Amino acid sequence: MPESESTSEKKTVKQDKLIQLIVFRLGEEEYGIRIEQVKEVTVTPEVARMPKTPAFVKGIANLRGDIIAIIDLEERFKLRSASEPVTGVTYTLAVEAKDYTIGIVVREVPQPLSIPISIIEKAPEFIQDINIHDKYIEGIAKVDERIIIVLDMLKLLTPEEIMQLQPKSESSPAKPRT
Amino acid sequence: MKSREQEYREIFMAEALEYYDAMSRHISELEKDPADEKALNELFRLMHNLKANARAMGHSDIGEVAHRMETIFGLIRSKERAFEGSLVPVLFTGVDTLGSMIRAVGEGEKTANADPLLANLERLVNGEEPVFEEDPDLASDEDATRKLELSDLVYIQIKKLDHLLNLVGELIIDRDRILTLSQEIGNPALQSTAAHLFRIADDLQYSVMDARLVNVGSLFNKFPRVVRDVATAEQKDVELAILGQDIQIDRNILQIITDALLHLVRNAIGHGLETPEVRVKAGKTAEGHLTLSAQTERDDVLIQVIDDGRGIDVESVRKKAVERGLTTAEAARNLDADAVRAFLFEPGFSMAKEVTDISGRGVGLDVVKLAIDSLGGQLRVDSVLGQGTTFSLVLPTSIAVKGALLFEIADRSYAIPLMHTDSVVSLWPDEMHVIGGVLLARVLHENIPVVNLHDLLNSSEDGVLPTANKGSLVGRQDIIIVNYNNRKLGLIVDRFLRQQDIVIKPMSKPLDMIDLFGGVTLLGSGQVCLVLDVPALTRLFLAKRP
Repeated sequence: MPESESTSEKKTVKQDKLIQLIVFRLGEEEYGIRIEQVKEVTVTPEVARMPKTPAFVKGIANLRGDIIAIIDLEERFKLRSASEPVTGVTYTLAVEAKDYTIGIVVREVPQPLSIPISIIEKAPEFIQDINIHDKYIEGIAKVDERIIIVLDMLKLLTPEEIMQLQPKSESSPAKPRT
Repeated sequence: MKSREQEYREIFMAEALEYYDAMSRHISELEKDPADEKALNELFRLMHNLKANARAMGHSDIGEVAHRMETIFGLIRSKERAFEGSLVPVLFTGVDTLGSMIRAVGEGEKTANADPLLANLERLVNGEEPVFEEDPDLASDEDATRKLELSDLVYIQIKKLDHLLNLVGELIIDRDRILTLSQEIGNPALQSTAAHLFRIADDLQYSVMDARLVNVGSLFNKFPRVVRDVATAEQKDVELAILGQDIQIDRNILQIITDALLHLVRNAIGHGLETPEVRVKAGKTAEGHLTLSAQTERDDVLIQVIDDGRGIDVESVRKKAVERGLTTAEAARNLDADAVRAFLFEPGFSMAKEVTDISGRGVGLDVVKLAIDSLGGQLRVDSVLGQGTTFSLVLPTSIAVKGALLFEIADRSYAIPLMHTDSVVSLWPDEMHVIGGVLLARVLHENIPVVNLHDLLNSSEDGVLPTANKGSLVGRQDIIIVNYNNRKLGLIVDRFLRQQDIVIKPMSKPLDMIDLFGGVTLLGSGQVCLVLDVPALTRLFLAKRP
């Protein structure tokens, strides 16, 4: 398994290194997470809604004895409005953040994909326009005609980021930060 | 289950044998090098401990031998005697005698007569020459029966027990799941196996919990010294009484309340008890009385810190609470004494007029409260002005398993720890009244605010709950009355389910930031069940009430 250095600057140095991504769809785009950050992929278990959490936190679920939070990144990133609920079977990626595991709901079966690390290009500034702060994005990979946005979960999923802690002032916590 | 008595006896035996082993080792070291101070000190300490333990267990003959031996080692230590000449064989005989006496106790036999040895030890203390009786039988007998023994006691890190307890917790959850599945499937063989698994897992759980229990005395016995030091610093005369040292409680719970208890004791001496002059003037004994007591109360342990000092002046607490803006003057007037005393547990609330080293820095009872809350326990204070104050801590015996009340809201199961539930009632809407926008129910001569738990949990971040409206209540309402810090609150739920022992898992990150939930548990059906935190729920209601 390739070393999981997550800085895009290394692309010129490590030309031939292959990395494995788990690729999934959020909104209209394809996103990837390095496989070493993904603990498992499973059909979404029964989720218990937790009061007093932002809408994009779907709740908690029992994943083989571990109780983990399940979040919907489409809602979190505003890629789909909260008024169109997800229907049918969904899948959950159990992702290892820094010191905890969290589940990400996706609508289609995530697929593994190997790409050379060199094709990951640093994300351009305009990415900020789609509400994903560019620091979460390791880069963008072009594979044939596909464009895959590679996320760095370790940076994305700090507890404060997830919960969007904006104490009491905001009535709809799912609003993105500006 | 073994009796307490027998358990103590086993612990005494194991320790005594360990002491004996160590004594034999150290006395041999001392023989090789009479200047070995470490060995000498160790021998002195071992004799002292053995003496204390033996006397506590009623083995006065062992205690007596150990006492005389201790005296001689003391003399050697202070260089009044030297470890040489005829003294050496007497001390070796002493150690051997102790060994055989301990073994005799262990086998339930009478201990041998140690009078000749005691006489010799006496002579040594008085500086006389010991007299050796020729008793070849005894000597050879001693050699023949000498055995090598391993201690019956195992020291174990609490970390390992914690791990064991966690595993048992998981096991219990799976057990309940298997039991539910076996009932669904309906296979008789599977059902009987599941029932068996249920019993075994139950036994295992209680055994692991039992292994973690320690005597409250292991903490209480540190207090005489603390009380002495604090009393000296505060220039007060304090008589400490300790009761119920042998009540057993989980070691980690004792660990968590250590600081809280220390704080309460310091408080009692610093604020509660008066100086001797003031006490005499008030017609009390010059000496203040402080009692630390422990007793079992149903499944819980009740620990009390009782002083006979000046008591809490409810009126000045009431004034202070208004000054600090914790309540309005008008509301404060109507609060009863219990409710007023509850302000003492608010963060930063201190009644001390002057700050001393011991207490009165405004960090105080709220810290105690937090520690008790974190255990799911209760903290109460009772006081009679001029007669004294009693702080009561109600603690669970064990952390792992808690009795809980399960109920449903919007087809989801939730649990509330029984520790915080006062009662459950079913009321018709016309038995409740809307007063000041809040629903009030009269239960057992008390007016208790009632809130729909679903509305409370789903209230918006900002703003308050809408004023209560009886029109929205249809039919009988199931209400759980919770009690926290002397405040009662009724929670309307959709349906009561049942009472059940649950294993609470802490909320995983990042959801642990939401303090409304004390954790989660898995039900037999595999469903995730949120465990509500009553302290946080009460705070939420106070913040949101219309």
